[in-house]
Amino acid sequence: MKRFADALFQTAYLSLVTLFVAFSVIPVVVAVVLSFDARGFVGPFPPTQFSLRWYDRFLADSYYHDGLVTSLVLATSATFIATVVGALAAIGLHHATFRGKGLIQAALLSPLVIPNVVLGFGVLIFASRLGILDGMTRLMMGHVLITFPYVMRTTAASLVGIRASYYEAALSLGAKPLGALWQVTLPLARTGIIAGAVFGFVTSFDDVGVSLFLTDAFTFTLPVAILAQMRANLDLTIAALSVMFIVATVLIIVILDRVAGLDAITGRGVYGR
Amino acid sequence: MRRPSLSTALLWPALLVMVPLLLGPLLLLAHESLKPFVGGRIGGDESGALTLQNYAQIADPQYVRYFLDTFRVGLLATAFALVLGFPVAHFIVRRAGPTMRRLMVGGLVGTLFLSIIVRVYAIAMTFGPHGPLSDFSRLFGISASSPDGAELMVVLGLLNSTLPLVALTLIGTLQNINPRLEDAALSLGAPRWKTFFQITVAMSLPGILSAAIIAYAFCISNLVVPMLVGRGFIVFVSNLIYFRFSEVANFPSGAALSMVMMVISVALFYGLLSLVRSHWQEAGK
Amino acid sequence: MIQSVLDLQHVTKRFGDTAAVDNVTFEVARGEIVALLGPSGCGKTTTLRMIAGFEQPDEGRIFISGVDVARKAPYERNVGLVFQDYALFPHMSVAQNIAFGMKNRGVPARDIAPRIARVLEQVRLPGIEGRRPSQLSGGQQQRVALARALVTRPDVMLLDEPLSNLDAKLRLELRHEIRAILATFDCTSIIVTHDQEEAMGLADRIVLMNKGRIEQVDTPVGLYQRPQTLFAADFIGHANWISGTLARRAAEAGVVETKVGGIAVAPGAVADGPVTLCIRPERLAIVAADAPADTRLAAVVERLDPVGADLRIWSRLGDGTLVQSLEKNVGRALPAPGVGVTLGFKVADCIVLPADGAAR
Repeated sequence: MKRFADALFQTAYLSLVTLFVAFSVIPVVVAVVLSFDARGFVGPFPPTQFSLRWYDRFLADSYYHDGLVTSLVLATSATFIATVVGALAAIGLHHATFRGKGLIQAALLSPLVIPNVVLGFGVLIFASRLGILDGMTRLMMGHVLITFPYVMRTTAASLVGIRASYYEAALSLGAKPLGALWQVTLPLARTGIIAGAVFGFVTSFDDVGVSLFLTDAFTFTLPVAILAQMRANLDLTIAALSVMFIVATVLIIVILDRVAGLDAITGRGVYGR
Repeated sequence: MRRPSLSTALLWPALLVMVPLLLGPLLLLAHESLKPFVGGRIGGDESGALTLQNYAQIADPQYVRYFLDTFRVGLLATAFALVLGFPVAHFIVRRAGPTMRRLMVGGLVGTLFLSIIVRVYAIAMTFGPHGPLSDFSRLFGISASSPDGAELMVVLGLLNSTLPLVALTLIGTLQNINPRLEDAALSLGAPRWKTFFQITVAMSLPGILSAAIIAYAFCISNLVVPMLVGRGFIVFVSNLIYFRFSEVANFPSGAALSMVMMVISVALFYGLLSLVRSHWQEAGK
Repeated sequence: MIQSVLDLQHVTKRFGDTAAVDNVTFEVARGEIVALLGPSGCGKTTTLRMIAGFEQPDEGRIFISGVDVARKAPYERNVGLVFQDYALFPHMSVAQNIAFGMKNRGVPARDIAPRIARVLEQVRLPGIEGRRPSQLSGGQQQRVALARALVTRPDVMLLDEPLSNLDAKLRLELRHEIRAILATFDCTSIIVTHDQEEAMGLADRIVLMNKGRIEQVDTPVGLYQRPQTLFAADFIGHANWISGTLARRAAEAGVVETKVGGIAVAPGAVADGPVTLCIRPERLAIVAADAPADTRLAAVVERLDPVGADLRIWSRLGDGTLVQSLEKNVGRALPAPGVGVTLGFKVADCIVLPADGAAR
């Protein structure tokens, strides 16, 4: 009886894992296959003939190209600002002893919880009140707001793993607090900061909720461009574009694994193998 | 040696950047939400007296429906994410070899990093009318073109995003549970399924709840999924806010909706999280 | 007068309402090795952190080489610190770790490499400059940590539980090695430990602490042979306890009335009244009924525990008190459990302690 129940359990367990993998992988495969569809319309799956026509169309479209440039510039600069400011703040909070530390931390992380649409709408009103009508500036404001918490949170998490004795050892060896941070704490928190910056970059690059409010006719991000195109006509250019995204994501993951290690994201745990 | 001056100095740049960026928009939103709406102009009436009519409007059953839809669909997606995500996290932590683990964690992070538009598009293509899995909804006795079909698509879209979120959070939880405890239960004669539920799941409960809260916060603030696959049958509050802005330019109403949604999100997140934390600290875990 | 390198005067540190360190005063002479010994939470680590500058005392003064450093930052004192977990910077090589302190203390660049080589020779790890801390064994890490702290020639060396992260065998080896290295540098040192053997083996003097206060400051031998409080007698080594009431004229030999009869004691400073007698197990012996001994007590053997070369014999006195005595296991005939014996000890081996101590 026990064995039967266990076999049943084992089957259910493995089915759920398989279902998970299938659900995660199949749509990606479908999108990749469709991107090579030779038909000029969205027809039944699988395609009968293959071509690169959707890639040609997507590469020739300056609309996407403009969006991509904007997104890259925006994500890079927003991440840069958020990383510098966020990593410093995480280190400052880590060493802080004053009251209200928890509250400041919660407040600085709150953009993670507040719906992006609310943030986007708010920044729009704020920018117009300040007389800022330039799309890039507005987008930058919104994107620093949403990338900052990722860098701060990941850096803070990596600081927890750094023994306090390293910092104290540096002080006892004659380093001043700033020197100890620069020479010891910062290098040790490096992987956390890099992982946070990557998370921040991806968040900024993928953002829709904030950007929808802040773009203007001349400055729009790639996701906003795609969204506009999707609502205009659901052709397979998007599939070709998706493949580009997938390739880029795989590259980011490989680089992240090389530079920081994927374990920087999940940790190894107390009983890590 | 803690030097308060240094830690404060490191905080200042963040406070200078983030406090205006956070407080400015939120205070202005709060102010905007109290202005009367005048049709035909962008932004509320500046000269008019402040009013609560924008909030009163939200109490209308017609609006309450959007909130209920948001919360219900979010709950469904979160529940499915837990059921699927927990075994996967467990598999990665306890059973997968180093290569398998790396591959699966890489896949989870990759899914998380992949543009949500791309993911929802891929799901729409897979489960949509011409997709290879277009018959999936029939398993639930739902017609794909019905409102329920739209809801299923939204759930699937949200699930695709919440799954990696839940699985990665639970990997963190499970890693910190002593595997010897499972061995101990087995050696005491408990069958595997009992061990799984009475030891592993029970001990992960704080982590499971945290993962659920994170996933739920993500779901109820989502904009893209209902926009792309909700087909107007499923409209989240986020969509409503965007609609107020883009289609009818009713800023005061959008602001009021934003305030309500923000309060609910923040209260749900921090409230539930602190509840989970205090409960499990009392229990001595 | 001996010149003291380190001088703590009435140092007090409170965390909230509790005083972690309470009115602590002691001096350390040049070249001396002093152990701060006590159970966890006795304030020894807080004392060390105050000397290092990581905590500031609420009251009292700390002099290093005659300068009051109580309000100075860690980097403004010339103190070398070896952490319990060594705290070797994992992202730096051995050479970079050792160079760290010299760079911060303004050692000219051309002197740094030769000094690294020299100090590594002194800790008997020559040629490992390029290794990473993670490539070293625990014992090697310990010695690199020592080298890193010693290379800047600190006024005072502080070692926080230096051997607690090593296994038992290595601990014994390294204990001698640390002593030798510290002697080479003629370095005034403070060693914080909860391990009495470590303190006894490493230190010239021991500062025994309990609940934030100093119980006794003495040499290792003095602390064992002449404990002044119940806590000191209990914490160091094993002891037998007999309580009673002391009656005598001041500064003369007296008698302690106990449940097992009157016991003669030597003249001492303890006032008349309730006292506790402490007799070390190796000073208590099973004697022939007519053998000469200052004090004899009748007892019944209860159990024999072999402890290596020795034998620990547990016997019960007339009032039910369980006592232990240590016999050399040299093949002599031993009493079987249940047999009545006579236990004897000398007046000089019976330590009189005031009974109102916290221990026991």
